[in-house]
Amino acid sequence: MSVATRAGQPTPTMTNKPDPQLLFLLGINLVVLLAGAAVSRGAFIDPYNLQSMSAQLPELGLLAMGVMLAMCAGNGGIDLSGIALANLSGVLSALLVGQWVPFDEAPWLFTSAFIGVALAVGLLGGLFNGLLIARLGFTPILCTLGTQLLFTGLAVVLSAGASVRVGSAEPLMELGNGLLLGMPLNFLLFCAVALLLGMVLKFSPFGIRLMLMGTNPKAARYAGFAQTRLLLTTYALCGVLASLAGVLIASRNVNVKWDYGQSYLLIAILITVMAGVRPEGGYGRMTCLFLSTTALQLLSSMLNFVGLSNFFRDFAWGLLLLVFLAVSRYDLAALLRPGANRINPSAQLPPAPKRPS
Amino acid sequence: MKLTPSKACLIGAALTATFSGLNAQDKPTIATVVKISGIPWFNRMEVGVKEFAMANPTLNASQSGPATADAAQQLKIIDDLVARKVNALAVVPMDPAVIEGVLKRAMDRGIVVVTHEADNQKNTNANIEAFDNAAYGAALNERLAACMGKQGKWTSFVGSLGSRTHIQWVDAGAANAKKYAGMTLVDAKNESFDDANKTYEKAKEVLRKHPDIKGFQSSAGNDVIGIGRAIEEAGLAGKVCLVGTGLPNPSAKLLDSGAITAIGFWDPKDAGLAMNRAAKMLLDKQPLTNGVNLGVKGYEKVTVSKGPGAGLLLVGNAMVIADKATYKNYLF
Repeated sequence: MSVATRAGQPTPTMTNKPDPQLLFLLGINLVVLLAGAAVSRGAFIDPYNLQSMSAQLPELGLLAMGVMLAMCAGNGGIDLSGIALANLSGVLSALLVGQWVPFDEAPWLFTSAFIGVALAVGLLGGLFNGLLIARLGFTPILCTLGTQLLFTGLAVVLSAGASVRVGSAEPLMELGNGLLLGMPLNFLLFCAVALLLGMVLKFSPFGIRLMLMGTNPKAARYAGFAQTRLLLTTYALCGVLASLAGVLIASRNVNVKWDYGQSYLLIAILITVMAGVRPEGGYGRMTCLFLSTTALQLLSSMLNFVGLSNFFRDFAWGLLLLVFLAVSRYDLAALLRPGANRINPSAQLPPAPKRPS
Repeated sequence: MKLTPSKACLIGAALTATFSGLNAQDKPTIATVVKISGIPWFNRMEVGVKEFAMANPTLNASQSGPATADAAQQLKIIDDLVARKVNALAVVPMDPAVIEGVLKRAMDRGIVVVTHEADNQKNTNANIEAFDNAAYGAALNERLAACMGKQGKWTSFVGSLGSRTHIQWVDAGAANAKKYAGMTLVDAKNESFDDANKTYEKAKEVLRKHPDIKGFQSSAGNDVIGIGRAIEEAGLAGKVCLVGTGLPNPSAKLLDSGAITAIGFWDPKDAGLAMNRAAKMLLDKQPLTNGVNLGVKGYEKVTVSKGPGAGLLLVGNAMVIADKATYKNYLF
């Protein structure tokens, strides 16, 4: 099994020209996989490591999906509260369900209650974000920065600052550590979510409207889109994705803590930008997001295999991001042809949309 | 940019060439994973790990750690090391609870796990503590008593009333001071929140309230800096005694001026060495029995007891109490 080649869903491209971002991401995945295999003399692509890497990436991938959705909505949309909400839903659910349902006597009830409560917390947190942004017109970056601190604070108070042990119910642990057909269950779940969300974005009226609104909010407004509802749905989805990440964290680590994954926030944004999601809104492909997540995971694991400093990893990610931005913005092949217009017109930014008043 | 196959091959070849020089050999590997890379404490630990690697050419020993203080990042590093199937892991956990899962996966895979500063870690073969907390607190207080001439008022500082080890230290100190009838504890357990400025203010208050105070015993790493500054500004350097946990480099100036009498700590270099030695002994199937000698200063006669999980709890006697004359041996 190769993580790199199992890209989410096949997305037909609009034009005949292949998407340069997709090619770039595929290339990076392949190169890192091959390089890793070469330097570790095969250990990098042995089944255990492929399983380990694919089991590591879902929590980050789900958070990146949330960021992508918020970005697609346009108007400076972003969700900074993802990991905080993931931790809050894990902590709250572990405390509540742990009190009422004995995990050893009713493991299935415990697992479903845990997942149910966590997703409900995520939904509520997401709706709260959505209400503040859509109804009160808060700027998304400031609003979600605020709610991030709020969610973190709540999780600290609820757990008294310590890590909370999740009852080790068999089905829940299986979700985090189990295998199906040689693939980690949490990775399969991640693939399923990616596929589903990718289809929704591509084919459902919600997805199409979301992209259109992101491209030009003013036009969307005059076209009579229910913008408030669209934004609410988007941020609620972000919240649910975050809490799903929280469930996966709990199922894998047995413990949840308010400060888990503080560094994920920026990495999730990095994944999103590397996937070619336009920060101004209106464009984002799930296939690219999937490949971008795997690329970052492969690179990070390879550097750990080689034993390079983790500061080098940050450096490599930054470099990758810059190269990527260059690839998506410029037609590098045209550099070689004198007199050609080097700026790729299709990637040029549209003028910044004004806020609807 | 079009990524043609030939270009991809070229990049691949370049990357391979870059990394193949760093390729690990087939020697048994002991990987040390610390809380954060690049801070003085763990840089000092790396000195110990390197020393171990030099002394054991038949083994690969190296240290890594996350670039940010995040348990999730440490978890990912350990995950990858487990996948790489290193032979032993020596971990200083950021948060013992968060890495229980991955350490269990490691042990299921036959990897030897040694931890440090995690006496509540369940999934470990052996957890090493540098010293017994009560013995450390008593030793700090004994040094203070010696400086005070076993006479006079003294007070104690803790990071916060919630930090378990700090309370253990000052309680053991108070118990030790009871031996001397002339020593009176006043306003015990001031909270410093490990903030040198807050400690400085607090210490000034204490000095005003008790002009005849003779000694301070402090706990958090920055306390000696704050209290030392207050003592120095009051012109009491050398007249009021101050003994507490601290690091040599930041405390150097105040130790020289006499505002700090002595600092207590454990040397991360020796802890790194001890973890790796213990891991090697476990790899060589040597038993860790009570009184075992890890061959590192302070860990020559280690107390071994059953830990909270299936593993062992090793407690050394590696406390260092350094003063003006001796701190230069431990500059970190």
